[in-house]
Amino acid sequence: MSEQVLERAPAPADLPGFFGAHEPLPREDVDPAIWPFIDRWVATHRGGRERLIPLLHAIQEQLGYLPFPVQEYVAEKLGLSPIQVYGVVSFYHFFTTTPRGRYQLKVCMGTACFVRHAQSIVETLNDVLGIGVGEVTEDRMFSLEQVRCIGACGLAPAMMVNDEVHGNLTRNDVRRLVRRLRAKERKAAAKAAGEADGGTDEQ
Amino acid sequence: MARTSSDPAVAPRLTPGDLGRLRERIRPAVQERLRSERGAVPARREVLVCAGGACLSCRSGTVAEAFAAAICERGLGERVRVVNVGCMGLCEAGPLVLVSPDGVYYPRLEPEQVPRVVEEHLEGNTPVEELELTWEGPDGEVLRSRDVPFFARQLKIALRNCGVIDPGSLEEYIAMDGYAALARVLHEMEPQEVLDTLKRSGLRGRGGAGFPAGLKWQFVRDAPGGVKYVVCNADEGDPGAFMDRSILEGDPHSVIEAMAIAGRVVGSRNGYVYVRAEYPLAIERLENALEAARSAGLLGEDILGSGFGFDLEIRIGAGAFVCGEETALMHSIEGRRGMPRPRPPFPAQQGLWGKPTLLNNVETWANVPPILLRGAEWYAAIGTRRSTGTKVFALAGDIRNTGLVEVPMGITLNEVVHEIGGGIRTGLPFKAAQSGGPSGGCIPSDRADVPIDYESLQELGSIMGSGGLIIMDSTTCMVELSRFFLDFLVDESCGKCPPCRIGTRVMLNILERITRGEASEDDLDTLESLGHHIRTSSLCGLGQTAPNAVLSTLTHYREEYLAHIRDGKCPAGKCKALLTYTILEEVCNGCGLCARACPASAITGEIKHVHVIDQDLCIHCGACLGACPSDAILAE
Repeated sequence: MSEQVLERAPAPADLPGFFGAHEPLPREDVDPAIWPFIDRWVATHRGGRERLIPLLHAIQEQLGYLPFPVQEYVAEKLGLSPIQVYGVVSFYHFFTTTPRGRYQLKVCMGTACFVRHAQSIVETLNDVLGIGVGEVTEDRMFSLEQVRCIGACGLAPAMMVNDEVHGNLTRNDVRRLVRRLRAKERKAAAKAAGEADGGTDEQ
Repeated sequence: MARTSSDPAVAPRLTPGDLGRLRERIRPAVQERLRSERGAVPARREVLVCAGGACLSCRSGTVAEAFAAAICERGLGERVRVVNVGCMGLCEAGPLVLVSPDGVYYPRLEPEQVPRVVEEHLEGNTPVEELELTWEGPDGEVLRSRDVPFFARQLKIALRNCGVIDPGSLEEYIAMDGYAALARVLHEMEPQEVLDTLKRSGLRGRGGAGFPAGLKWQFVRDAPGGVKYVVCNADEGDPGAFMDRSILEGDPHSVIEAMAIAGRVVGSRNGYVYVRAEYPLAIERLENALEAARSAGLLGEDILGSGFGFDLEIRIGAGAFVCGEETALMHSIEGRRGMPRPRPPFPAQQGLWGKPTLLNNVETWANVPPILLRGAEWYAAIGTRRSTGTKVFALAGDIRNTGLVEVPMGITLNEVVHEIGGGIRTGLPFKAAQSGGPSGGCIPSDRADVPIDYESLQELGSIMGSGGLIIMDSTTCMVELSRFFLDFLVDESCGKCPPCRIGTRVMLNILERITRGEASEDDLDTLESLGHHIRTSSLCGLGQTAPNAVLSTLTHYREEYLAHIRDGKCPAGKCKALLTYTILEEVCNGCGLCARACPASAITGEIKHVHVIDQDLCIHCGACLGACPSDAILAE
């Protein structure tokens, strides 16, 4: 992204857009429903800059991530410069500029989970999914993150699968969990494809 | 939070008289829940199902449904009611259920066991002793339910309503003296009287630093300016602490009431609650509570007919630990990067948008209404002379009874760990307790007889912090633990001031070298001197306390650091690079997963035969350990 922008940008300081780009970033790759969504949100929420973080939350809830063209659009709507928006997005861990998987696995790395060997949970997931922390599987089914304490210390080690907390995990528990989710997806895919025989052969 | 609405809805716009009448009417029923009248045959019973975050993820919702179904099936609907309450504290035993007025707790209840409880206890009036919560007493006697030390030793002020009332019900909060303190402040007390009460109570900020709350309120009241703000810090970032979450989830009105009181006292009309994005349930329940309070006229214009107006908004954090620092938190509310700024000016003079701002954390707020109702002297008599009242601790780690406990200040760590906490779950020796999160330090087990208050913890090189207590057994490596905290802090340092940004990075590099066995003894001196510099020259609390974890473990566990450096050994068996991995012949089933996982191709063996690790090729990464499904890999 940045390379492409730099190429066409001689970077005069006073221009809008990312990293000194002249024109707004191309918007084709983003779900078009988001533009009216942002318009509506801004129209119904009065105020100034303090609306930025709530708006970013709302957008990420819709899209799953905050692509650069959207950040640029938000800046325009709130009367900020794009870099001010990007500064906020990059500061907070919760915001992401890359799409996540359909199942977001967030392994808690709080102290209680750490003391109860959460690292082995992460390693097992690395192994089973073939991705590192912060990455997404090729089929976009799983993304793996480490998070700071989800407040489920009584259930350590714990992880969240989307909004659901799974606690007291062992290495085998997470292997089983991933297998189950994969099987569920295969079933759903098979159903969608109209294949009536629901034989879900596990590995 | 479905509520059986046989009660008439709270009338719009309550007056103090309505509040009193409502309280008188509902109070007896709610009070029943605090009794333990075993063996009685009461006309009505209630089944309280914990709907705290931890129990919900143990499917307590299904248990509640099972109760409702079984009660309906047996035609007990008239006599028994199921109530979803907030966190009862004993997360270990989730899903936890309390039957009142018998006072019988059923831990780890499975939906399949519910029909039996309904039949024998709710219908047959005989508690199911086999399923009841029991504990072995000091003399071998069997203690039951409320007599279990975990409950018997607690004194609940901040958590007074958690696990007792339905957090979705404003009436139940009112029944437990809710909004009575606000009514008194609005109609009977002068603002200065409220401040004096708070000061005499000795209440100190429960978020970490322990600043006297009354004094803080006074500063904001005295600050010139027409517009002021009241803020609740619910950005509970310390890993291992979850009391603020439980209060918001279990008793959200207590925070709302206290903030409205503060609004009146300091002269503010607007407030914010800054909650972590990681706590969706807390946000949802707080939103519902705000809505209920507004429609009852307990927020908004002309509260309780006093002419005073106040309202609250929720602001959701976005995952930055440093936002627990007050100036960073205010920048975040303003829609900026959450970076701290130098103080003075303190928020009491210049806070949100440059206006005087009163900022307290959730637990501090929750303590305010009871102090105003029961008096400063009552509160000051609890705890120690300089640290009055109670403190909520979140017990986690290698302890048997994980969960939330509220105890008087001055209790010893030993009492918390061994009596309330039930000792170490693994049966191994108790090694240390870590308090105060990443900003705190470790208290070794041989100092665990020191009474816990703000000052004593500081003397031990730790801090009270928000009250997270991570209990560790002998398998925890103190060097690795320090590395863990430094890694956290490097990641969370906002980068504004160099001592914190660069200093923590350098400390982390040294700790990583120690855990790999590549450090020298001089490095320990460097760690110490660096730590002192970072402590004295950082801009905010995050940097100033960042070296605590390293410095406190260096003080109490220096031999452990030396073992890594001199002998290349990790006494706790945690530091991977110093471990030797071997495959246990009798356990290995020859699945070959370890060989596939090994990045150095150091593992050989045929499928269905025992595999072997070539120690010369092994790079000590531990990948095989993670890959083995049958725990056949030994690391020591």
